[in-house]
Amino acid sequence: MRSLASSLVLLLAATGAAEACEPPRLDASTRIDGKRHVLLFRGVPSPPPLNTSFAVEIAVCARDGASVAAPRVDAWMPAHRHGMNYRPSVVARAPGSFRADGLLLHMPGRWEFVFEVGGERLTATQTLD
Amino acid sequence: MRVAVALLAILLAPIPAVAELLDFSGAEWARIVRHGPWPLPFRADPSNRVSGDADAIALGRTLFFDTRLARDGRLSCATCHDPALGWSEQRARSEGRTTLTRNTPSLLDVRLRRWFGWDGAHDNLWATSLRPILDPREFASDPTAIADLLRGDGKLSACYDRAFGRDIAGVDAETLAIDAAKALAAFQETIDSARTPFDDFRDALDRGDRIAAARLPLAAQRGVRLFVGKGNCAFCHLGPAFTNGEFHSIGIPFFTAEGADGGRHAGIKTLQSSKLTLLGPWNDDPDLAPGTATRHVDPQHRNFGEFRVPGLRDVARTAPYMHDGSLASLRDVVKHYSDLDPDRLHNDGEAILVPLKLSESEIDDLVAFLESLSPTVRTSDASSGPRCN
Repeated sequence: MRSLASSLVLLLAATGAAEACEPPRLDASTRIDGKRHVLLFRGVPSPPPLNTSFAVEIAVCARDGASVAAPRVDAWMPAHRHGMNYRPSVVARAPGSFRADGLLLHMPGRWEFVFEVGGERLTATQTLD
Repeated sequence: MRVAVALLAILLAPIPAVAELLDFSGAEWARIVRHGPWPLPFRADPSNRVSGDADAIALGRTLFFDTRLARDGRLSCATCHDPALGWSEQRARSEGRTTLTRNTPSLLDVRLRRWFGWDGAHDNLWATSLRPILDPREFASDPTAIADLLRGDGKLSACYDRAFGRDIAGVDAETLAIDAAKALAAFQETIDSARTPFDDFRDALDRGDRIAAARLPLAAQRGVRLFVGKGNCAFCHLGPAFTNGEFHSIGIPFFTAEGADGGRHAGIKTLQSSKLTLLGPWNDDPDLAPGTATRHVDPQHRNFGEFRVPGLRDVARTAPYMHDGSLASLRDVVKHYSDLDPDRLHNDGEAILVPLKLSESEIDDLVAFLESLSPTVRTSDASSGPRCN
């Protein structure tokens, strides 16, 4: 039995199975499960307004337990092949907690939020009317 | 006999056309309703401490029509921003002390903008009001001349004292020039476009009144369907003011005899080198709160040749069109999008800009819709209010 469990652990490690981690609490947020990170985000206000500056609150953890540097935040419209006209600024508020200011989604339609954290690219889409 | 004649008259009278409402889908209704309500309530500009102040508005109105602001006394703001022409002009390119490279933009609903000028070189209305006064190609004035005008005219001085709550005698020339621009801004914030047949249609749809909605002519109804649908127009011309206030390249050439017009690319450079922005010391909001967009604006390669998306209210009155005034009529504008040349567009520009290939009747319908964005009855406009006296 012990041999079986050890084999299972080895098998999981070999297949890169994700370790669990829990980001700081962020209510009413969208969750993105990456290979190496788990990220929660929500617009401020939520849902994000069309054609008005807004902020994004972010909570993130690394599955290997490492501390997480500020993510790079962006958004773009895949169908239109362009992004925002603004570059958000990101500040840390607590370990694993960040706030990005200065986002502005200037057209209605499907936007993809992009978070680059620790070399991993995490995305989630939202549609604005 | 008299009854028979009356009956005959009724029978022979022209039958009034029964107003008809197109079978708009739920999605179309929702998209149309987003272009209202109108007008939008006034909100004072926090960067301008005299925004909304009656004395400042009167001072700004007086200065707007005063040719003494120009060095040679030949031009006023109203020379190019003619109230009778939707606060724009009929020339393709503005005429100052020399011919300029761009068309005079309309000032209708200017208070709602995030960026000012075709290239968005300014993030506030007072800075963009000062620019032509100081520009050597336009008014060619300077702060000392502006200060001399205000101090030397008793009516203007008294008006200034009331608006800004201080004695003009103790104010330096640079401050007076910027205060004059803030008074001009306060006045221009009152230049609102009036309600239109489209607004009546939109409001009727919103409250489910099909009979009232059907009063918009069918051609305009078909045009609004194209506008929010096949035409993709409402992606950029969105909301009650029919603009997102941002910048796009739409295939209008930007090379002129004077060289390339960098559009938004050059506008961002000017913005970021100016001290008259919402991030600078002349912003009257101590928190600099309105400066979020300025703080985060991101220069990109595709900005070259991009120009501000204009609002469409009362657009029928503001011909010619585009940043260079190169399109003479609304029909020309619609045909531009119908026959769009993809080779003129940025590779990294807006991917949904494709030739619409509209039929002649579709072009007529879109023009009919755009014309429904003008009021049918004109009342007095902002130019007729009180002035300094």
